[in-house]
Amino acid sequence: MLELKKILLEAVLVTVVGAALAFTANVISSRGLALANDYFPGKPVTPESSAPATPSSAGMNTNLPASASDESVLLRIKQNGLQLVDVNQAVQLFHDPRSQQELILFVDARNDQEYHEGHIPAAYLFDNYHPEKYLADVMSAAQTAEKVVVYCHGGDCDDSVSAAITLRDAGIPNQKLFVYAGGITEWMADKLPVEIGERKSGQLQKVNK
Amino acid sequence: MSDKSRPHRNALEIPTFLARWALGAAFIYTGLSKALHPVEFLKLVREYEMTQNHLLLNLIAAWLPWFEVFCGLLLILGIAVRGTALMLTLMLGLFTGLVFHRALAIHSAQDIAFCAIKFDCGCGTGEVFICHKLLENFVLILLSAWLLSGYGRKACVRYSLV
Repeated sequence: MLELKKILLEAVLVTVVGAALAFTANVISSRGLALANDYFPGKPVTPESSAPATPSSAGMNTNLPASASDESVLLRIKQNGLQLVDVNQAVQLFHDPRSQQELILFVDARNDQEYHEGHIPAAYLFDNYHPEKYLADVMSAAQTAEKVVVYCHGGDCDDSVSAAITLRDAGIPNQKLFVYAGGITEWMADKLPVEIGERKSGQLQKVNK
Repeated sequence: MSDKSRPHRNALEIPTFLARWALGAAFIYTGLSKALHPVEFLKLVREYEMTQNHLLLNLIAAWLPWFEVFCGLLLILGIAVRGTALMLTLMLGLFTGLVFHRALAIHSAQDIAFCAIKFDCGCGTGEVFICHKLLENFVLILLSAWLLSGYGRKACVRYSLV
């Protein structure tokens, strides 16, 4: 009995010291999470009667091919009152002359590395998990734009939704905001132009037609 | 200890020492793989739908990976071995329950064999087949429960703290 008490006490000690060290490590780490940040802003997805009977965590089963955009992502877009664009509308917006004047803006909601590997030409990088790095630049461009199209990977990725909600919370009117749920995966699959490296680097990825 | 039980105890010292090191190394590896990619881990934790509270979600994702590394280091160094082993046994039991629950949800939603279900459970080893994962966790639970036995005190900095 005494031995059991000792083990329990030791476990409590390990937990307390471990928790203190773990949170310290998170603060020190350059990749650490900001505990107060809401990385998934907006209303959480709740099942709808019209929605297909799949779990909201659909897409996690990677045995099956991912569709261009996951049902749970579409539901989150809808329930948060955001506007959805499909690939045809995204292409139309991309070729619109207002894109050249930055009146139509594309915003890439993936991380820095993925962005540099290939993004929609002239898209702004906005990694919603590190808003402090990117929000100011994107906001100044988005405030003067007429339309802002946010995208990420496509499939079950909903970082574009989170990024759009963050932009809306920061003051961009909802009617300006669009989510391209098909994302870069669909864009590349359709052999549309992809820029590599920095924004406006002019380096386009070679596409094998 | 009687002389009769001493050979038996000695025979168990080395396997228990190896179990302690194997478990410690496994936790350091999986903990670091999550700690170095906290955003990816946060997304995976979110998929379990345990909570909608963003603060709680962040706390879990920030705490768990480094705590695993800490426990792994304690085992390797041989500090507070039984207290650490108890925590790991409880944690592994909880994780196994959560992973199994999610696998069941997928199984009931999609018409595929249970063992063909493959997903990234946030365990630090990427995408895995569910049956492999459950078996792996079962072995880890056995190892950590075995460390509670009191064997394997060799090469420990401080086996007990209290």
